[in-house]
Amino acid sequence: MKLSNLTNGIIKENPIFVQLLGMCPTLAVTTSAINGIGMGLATTAVLASSNVAIALLRKFIPAQVRIPAFVVVISTFVTVVGMLMEAFLPALFSSLGLFIPLIVVNCIILARAEAFASKNGVGDSLLDGIGMGLGFTLALVILGSVRELIGNGSLFGAALLGANYQPALIMILPPGGFLALGLLLALYNSYQIKKAK
Amino acid sequence: MKDILKTGIILLIIAAVAAVALGLTNEVTKDKIAEQRFLANEQAKKAVLATAATFEDITGEDLEAITSTFAPVTEAYVGLDASGAVVGYVFKSTPNGFSGAVEVVTGIDGNGTVTGLRVGSHNETPGLGAKAKDAAFFDQYNGKLTDGPIGVSKTAASGNDIQAITGATITSVAVTSGANASIDAYKWIMENGGIGK
Repeated sequence: MKLSNLTNGIIKENPIFVQLLGMCPTLAVTTSAINGIGMGLATTAVLASSNVAIALLRKFIPAQVRIPAFVVVISTFVTVVGMLMEAFLPALFSSLGLFIPLIVVNCIILARAEAFASKNGVGDSLLDGIGMGLGFTLALVILGSVRELIGNGSLFGAALLGANYQPALIMILPPGGFLALGLLLALYNSYQIKKAK
Repeated sequence: MKDILKTGIILLIIAAVAAVALGLTNEVTKDKIAEQRFLANEQAKKAVLATAATFEDITGEDLEAITSTFAPVTEAYVGLDASGAVVGYVFKSTPNGFSGAVEVVTGIDGNGTVTGLRVGSHNETPGLGAKAKDAAFFDQYNGKLTDGPIGVSKTAASGNDIQAITGATITSVAVTSGANASIDAYKWIMENGGIGK
């Protein structure tokens, strides 16, 4: 087990800023910082457990049918977690339940299963899942914070910019998602280029 | 040929295991989920009509008369106190907002006062129409009288008016129309001597 598998996903191979995976939920849920945390943590949990399951099954699944097999495993996982959560943890479900069905269609999970868990051991796959999940969470929170601050004048629901601030509503509407993501990507890349020089 | 058969069988096994897992989870959580949903529903009704201890569905001819005359009201409940006396009525209506139906739950007590209003599921714009779910907006309906319809003001709330959400007049009007339809349904019930006595 290598620790770098855990840290890779957070900055160096960040799923959003570097791999540009999972754009659909990214743009949809980042209207506020708290939404970013909810979606990010729910995805982390599914990502870690699906990576472990795929790593365990990797020798059993023939290469020709690996994609359908992964899809079945992941969607079963998500559905089971969703049902158990609604039945036994209703408070958690009421805040995260909205994100559960979105995770099924999140390509990060399939991408990590295909690119990492199907080729590595259980321990490394678990670390990779957690790292990628945290990187995803971090990116979503940054994106959500920027959009919420500019578009609503608040952060994590607390008003910061005062009553006189006229919120730029476009930032929490769909176009604002693209604008904020594009600018953050540019910022990230210019930082990386500078660092490389 | 042998290879295809083997691959197919493995995929079949994975799918079968997934199906069994889903079936078992559903069996375990089914009743619990139904109970949680029922509780959530009861709580929503209690939030708008706090004096009631239990609620009874209005069904059959009465409900038909209400829903056909007072659209968009779709469901109606009688609120009973601990001794079984009628203390008020709760109506669920689904007026059309800016983008699709908005679920509005309105509680009215026996004296003809609106005791509470909540907005349920909706597809309104985040940051604009979605603010209808904030207490600052829906609390305005508390204590409104059913003598006349509730109005919507863009500047300041006065008398039987509520103040619209800035930038979301259509949503505000929609929620108010749901409340007004509920008020009309309430009046109809009172004129007909009440239901559930």
